[in-house]
Amino acid sequence: MDLSLSTRTVGDRTVVEVGGEIDVYTAPKLREQLVELVNDGSYHLVVDMEGVDFLDSTGLGVLVGGLKRVRAHEGSLRLVCNQERILKIFRITGLTKVFPIHTSVQEAVSATD
Amino acid sequence: MVRTWNGGAPTAPATPSGEGRNHAMCATGRPTDRQHDQHPGWTSDHRPAGVAATLPRQRATEPVPIEQPGETVRSQPQPFTLLVVGDDPTGGFAVPDLLDAAGHRVRIRRARNLTEAQRLLTDDVTCILLDLDIELVPDHPKAGGLTALREVLRMAPATAVLALAAGEEDAELAAEAVRVGAQDYLFRDEFDASLLNRAMRYAVERKRADLAQRQLTETRLLTQENARLERGLLPTPLLGGADDLRFAARYRPGRSRALLGGDFYDVVRTPDGTVHAMIGDVCGHGPDEAALGVELRIAWRALTLAGLSGDELLGTLQEVLENERPDDEVFATLCTIDIASDGLRAGLCLAGHPSPLLARSGRPVELLPYEHGGPALGLLERAEWNRRTVELGEAWSLMLYTDGLIEGRIGEGTARLGQDGMIELVDRRVRSGLRGEELLDSTMAEVRELNGGELTDDVAVVLLDRG
Repeated sequence: MDLSLSTRTVGDRTVVEVGGEIDVYTAPKLREQLVELVNDGSYHLVVDMEGVDFLDSTGLGVLVGGLKRVRAHEGSLRLVCNQERILKIFRITGLTKVFPIHTSVQEAVSATD
Repeated sequence: MVRTWNGGAPTAPATPSGEGRNHAMCATGRPTDRQHDQHPGWTSDHRPAGVAATLPRQRATEPVPIEQPGETVRSQPQPFTLLVVGDDPTGGFAVPDLLDAAGHRVRIRRARNLTEAQRLLTDDVTCILLDLDIELVPDHPKAGGLTALREVLRMAPATAVLALAAGEEDAELAAEAVRVGAQDYLFRDEFDASLLNRAMRYAVERKRADLAQRQLTETRLLTQENARLERGLLPTPLLGGADDLRFAARYRPGRSRALLGGDFYDVVRTPDGTVHAMIGDVCGHGPDEAALGVELRIAWRALTLAGLSGDELLGTLQEVLENERPDDEVFATLCTIDIASDGLRAGLCLAGHPSPLLARSGRPVELLPYEHGGPALGLLERAEWNRRTVELGEAWSLMLYTDGLIEGRIGEGTARLGQDGMIELVDRRVRSGLRGEELLDSTMAEVRELNGGELTDDVAVVLLDRG
C-alpha cells in the first residue's frame, strides 16, 4: 500500500525507480520527488515503473506534471514499463502519445529522439 | 375538504415519477452516515479513549512525585491513566509516580507487547508511552519501533502517544516517530517524573487540538461536498420526450472525507430527439478539481444544446479546461454517447475514458469499441477525437462509468477488479435478469464488497435502458 522511490544517475539521465501503488495518497510523494529533481537541475528523467502495482488518475496527473516541468527546461521524461495492466491505462488515457515508453532502463537512458 | 380528499386516496408507496423515469442517486442516506462519522456515539458509556472530557482542565502546577500508598481516589474527574508499552524485562526504565493536575495519582498500566497493549487499552487510557526499543522481531531491537508505533496509533487513534527513545543517539528515530504520529518524544537518559508529567499533559492537549482541527476540516469539506452533490456534478437529466428510454445513475463518494472527487455526468435530449449522455472524471482530488468537474459538465451541456458534437465539442471542452484548470498537470477523461431518436444506434466519442458496457438480451455483455478513442482532455495541444457509430438494436442497456468502479481491490493482494472483471460481474447480473436501478445497486454493492469496504476513489455510473 506504500510507495517506494529511489533515484540514481546514469550518464546525463536520472533514473527514478518507483515501486508499490501510486494513488491519491502516495502520488504527492512522487510529485515531490520529481519537483525536487527538476529544481536541482535534473531535466532528463527516466521513471522506471516496473515495480508499480497500481496507478490511478492522480498518479497519471503527477507524471504529466513532471513532463511539463522538464519540458520547460527542454528536458525529457521517459517511462520504463512492460506491465500490461499499467500500459493499458496509458493507452486508454492517450498518454502513450505523450510519453516515450521503453522496455528497459538501458533502452531509456540511451534513447535520444 | 382536503382531509376528505386525502382520505379517499390511500397513500401509495412512492412510485417513479409520472414520466416513468427513475432518476435516483445514491446520496440518500449519506447525510445520516456522515452525522455518525462526526459524532461517533459519544455517550457517557461509549467514550473513545483519551477524549478530552476526562482530562484536567486547569493548567497544572509543576508536579512533584509524592508517595501516597494506597490512594485510590475515584472522584470526578477521572484519574489520568498512562499505558506503558515496552518489553524491557528488567524494568530498566521505571515510570515514576505521578500526580495529575487534580492531585490524583496517575494510574499506570504496563504492556510488554502489542497484544497486551490491545487488551489493556480500555476507554480510560488517557496517554500511551511507547518504548521505541520494543522488540517486535527477536534480536532486532529498533527494527520494530516505528512499526509498533503505527500499530499503536491504529489501535488508539484518539489517544495521545509519547515515544520513548534511548537517548540523543536516537534523535533521528525519535523525530521520525513524531512525523509518524506520536505527539512528542522523550529520551530515556533524561527521563524523570517532572518531564514525563509535563510531556504527557502537553501530548494529551495537543492530541485534543489535532482531533478538533481534523474534525473542523472534515466538517468544512463535508459541507463543500454536499453542496457540490446537490447542485454541481450530479444534475437532473433533461430527457423530456424520450419516452422509451430509461435513465438511472449512482454516485458514491470515496472513503476519505478529506478527498473530493471530480466525477461528473449529464444527460440531455436535443430537439431532434437525440439523447446525449456524458460521463467524465477530473484527475486529482480537491475542491478545485471538483469545481472544474462542474464547469466541464455545464460547458458540455451548453455546447450540446447549442448543437456541437464529436471532435468540435471535445476540442472546445479542452479549451475550457485549459483556461480553467487550477494546475497544468490537471486533465480530464470523458466519454460521450449520442443515441439516435429511433434508439437503434449511437455515436461514441472517448477522450481517455474507459469505454461503456453494452448489454443486449441473449448476448454477453461487451465493451463498446475503444480503439478509435482520443487522448484525455488537457494532454495534447492538437488532438483529435473521432466519433464511432455503434449499432444498438431494439433492446439494450448502456452503462457508462468512471474508473473508480474498476480500480477496486479484489482480495488482500494488489490485484484490482479491472475492466474484464467488471464485464464478467455485470454479465452475471444481466443473465440473472437484473436491469436498471437494481442492476446498478447490485453491481456497486459487489464492487464494494470485493474491495473489502468503501472504495478509495469516488464512483459514478450512468445506465440507459431501452426496450
